[in-house]
Amino acid sequence: MGLHKLRLAAAVPVTFSSRLFLKPFTNTLTLGLFSRHLQPRNKPLLVRAFSASAAVQDIPATQTSDSSAARPLWKAAIDFKWIRDNKEAVEINIRNRNSNANLEAVLQLYENMVNLQKEVERLREERNNVAKKMKGKLEPSERERLVEEGKNLKESLVTLEEDLVKLKDELQHVAQSIPNMTHPDVPVGGEDSSAIRQEVGSPREFSFPIKDHLQLGKDLDLIDFDSAAEVSGSKFFYLKNEAVLLEMALLNWTLSQVMKKGYTPLTTPEIVRSSIVEKCGFQPRGDNTQVYSIDGTDQCLIGTAEIPVGGIHMDSILLESALPLKYIAFSHCFRTEAGAAGAATKGLYRVHQFSKAEMFVICQPEDSESFHQELIQIEEDLFTSLGLHFKTLDMATADLGAPAYRKFDIEAWMPGLGRFGEISSASNCTDYQSRRLGIRYRPSEPPQTGPKKGKANLPATKFVHTLNATACAVPRMMVCLLENYQQEDGSVVIPEPLRPFMGGIELIKPKHK
Amino acid sequence: MKGKLEPSERERLVEEGKNLKESLVTLEEDLVKLKDELQHVAQSIPNMTHPDVPVGGEDSSAIRQEVGSPREFSFPIKDHLQLGKDLDLIDFDSAAEVSGSKFFYLKNEAVLLEMALLNWTLSQVMKKGYTPLTTPEIVRSSIVEKCGFQPRGDNTQVYSIDGTDQCLIGTAEIPVGGIHMDSILLESALPLKYIAFSHCFRTEAGAAGAATKGLYRVHQFSKAEMFVICQPEDSESFHQELIQIEEDLFTSLGLHFKTLDMATADLGAPAYRKFDIEAWMPGLGRFGEISSASNCTDYQSRRLGIRYRPSEPPQTGPKKGKANLPATKFVHTLNATACAVPRMMVCLLENYQQEDGSVVIPEPLRPFMGGIELIKPKHK
Repeated sequence: MGLHKLRLAAAVPVTFSSRLFLKPFTNTLTLGLFSRHLQPRNKPLLVRAFSASAAVQDIPATQTSDSSAARPLWKAAIDFKWIRDNKEAVEINIRNRNSNANLEAVLQLYENMVNLQKEVERLREERNNVAKKMKGKLEPSERERLVEEGKNLKESLVTLEEDLVKLKDELQHVAQSIPNMTHPDVPVGGEDSSAIRQEVGSPREFSFPIKDHLQLGKDLDLIDFDSAAEVSGSKFFYLKNEAVLLEMALLNWTLSQVMKKGYTPLTTPEIVRSSIVEKCGFQPRGDNTQVYSIDGTDQCLIGTAEIPVGGIHMDSILLESALPLKYIAFSHCFRTEAGAAGAATKGLYRVHQFSKAEMFVICQPEDSESFHQELIQIEEDLFTSLGLHFKTLDMATADLGAPAYRKFDIEAWMPGLGRFGEISSASNCTDYQSRRLGIRYRPSEPPQTGPKKGKANLPATKFVHTLNATACAVPRMMVCLLENYQQEDGSVVIPEPLRPFMGGIELIKPKHK
Repeated sequence: MKGKLEPSERERLVEEGKNLKESLVTLEEDLVKLKDELQHVAQSIPNMTHPDVPVGGEDSSAIRQEVGSPREFSFPIKDHLQLGKDLDLIDFDSAAEVSGSKFFYLKNEAVLLEMALLNWTLSQVMKKGYTPLTTPEIVRSSIVEKCGFQPRGDNTQVYSIDGTDQCLIGTAEIPVGGIHMDSILLESALPLKYIAFSHCFRTEAGAAGAATKGLYRVHQFSKAEMFVICQPEDSESFHQELIQIEEDLFTSLGLHFKTLDMATADLGAPAYRKFDIEAWMPGLGRFGEISSASNCTDYQSRRLGIRYRPSEPPQTGPKKGKANLPATKFVHTLNATACAVPRMMVCLLENYQQEDGSVVIPEPLRPFMGGIELIKPKHK
């Protein structure tokens, strides 16, 4: 989950590469302030020209008439006032997360936008006054003068309104890379600062030389990377024989366990529009993007079911009584793994395509922390049942990723690799995703005190909170199970909970050819 | 020119050698181009056809067998889309926003049903000696072509990945065919029999009209596919084995269907012979294809380069490879749908609906669904 990389001179708030906004606004509005003349419109410079991820969209912008085709397709509902009123906390948060977000730029743009908005409104009022005056009886010269004035005002207004749109787009673009705020208990720092929430089990002691999962996969005829390298490329694989049954058992068992906790099972599309990917906080089009795009369309392959599940309720207002919504979603996931290098890419540990069961919760803001605890508890229970040795980490600020308010990762012991490896991640995204996906709810009872009421005495809508957590990422689980449950004779024991889901198989035995 | 020569003779020979060399280079280039063109044109020659295959268009296909009969309903029936809505099983509307038309989410019991179908199918087919596989769903486009599909035509069925030579598979036949490409197998290794699961992706470009409703035609679906690699003399009997497996599966599920021996115009280039099974879909009011079993003989193996070496040298016969090894031959390949989940779901939902709006789960699937016997309407 990356951030927009802004090639701005960060220290100087008003130096934007957009040529339209060279100076802060003053109240003296003259056309000369703008480096642009009123002419038949060419396509203006892209407002987002400085962004590394400016995209050429195949589908037309849904917004206003005379704007360029490069207008963003969607907007996060960002609370600019809150950012302005809490700017110290926001700045500290940005720093703690090593984020590239430019708060100064946001604040300056916001102020400019507010001022420009006022100016636009003032001009509108003047124009209305002129129009009013012109309804009465007038001397010809007076009328002519007013007509001229009205014309000038109209032209100025058109210009300013276009500028306002651009300014809003730019503000939006810059503000959208401000990461989520952070839970106060989250340790500040890099990966070494993550705190251990709990540790379960201990590394198994082997009385014989052990194999890694790749060797076990070869010896037991379970995994084929070589054919896949020819057919598809590196980091693809076929599963064979008992490994297929094991994948199905893992998914079936996980589903049944999580359904017992009230989660609704889902399967999802694996091709989605790229705007949905962005709204969830991912970057389909950066360099080193994790996202595969489909040729000739605005569609991408999903890297996680979080994306299509988040999209189900986008641009909706849910009833409070409908919450919480709790899903367990299966999908295949596709990741380019661009930029992933070295030893942490061996075998099943890092692959381009894998099966995953993902939990997704939509809830009221006051409930998200307890659902975060519920999700991590479910994960810990699942992995404990499978007999894994693991630790749950409370990830430090630099490792959070923009959408997450707090993130628990579980790392399990992988004896063949000789280290702990991440097998799951549980994030509380609070309202970061919902402000982008447009998921709101309407509280059921109007607040007794309190100023804000929507139309017709309905309480005002609020943004929901969203959470997501890995219930089962099959290849990583397979690494754990194969490596931990291997025996001296080369066989692998199947953990008890999975056996009923594998037709009772207790052991994967070497095959004799 | 290696011997002793008069200078003038040597000069003449050098000149002659130079001319010959130039001509050769030109001709060799021409030969390469000609071979490429020959190859390109010849590759579109379709496979030969089994003598029993009816000649003609879709109306000429012969019925190999018909099983069961259409259920009689004593109440007005719903199609699978309506059942999917009423029982909160299928969501096309959200998927249209998130992904586009012809995408869907399965919910609740439909998820369990998909898993039960795949699990049950796997266990049934494994009993017949098929090796289970899961496969990559992204493959190099050359593999797609070698299997007889066209990744890059107009109206292609194939999704391509931006910025690479890779595509999404439309069927597991493709990555499974690729496993043994450019290989020489031992005769003793044959037959190779696989049951492969994958998600399948199809653009369905050019598919229009009523035959695209709901789950009947979608861009992404789960499928279990059987794939056989065998000796040429065995492919006809394996074709019979595959169609028998399919017919047994669908009979066990209580479906009413007919098996068609597809006529020549409906075969598709790789198939020597093709059996399609069409099942009765009462909500749609017609038969719909739920599976297809093709014998591709050596069409795919000649493109994928899959050969085998017979174990015993032929007693008579002229051709022997190096060092007295018998010459390699091309294998035959076959593929057959064991379970295409959305089409199966149309059949099961529409055929097993009851007057009260519930849907009965066929017995063989119940143990794979935690014992659920019925999908009941949910009360909100």
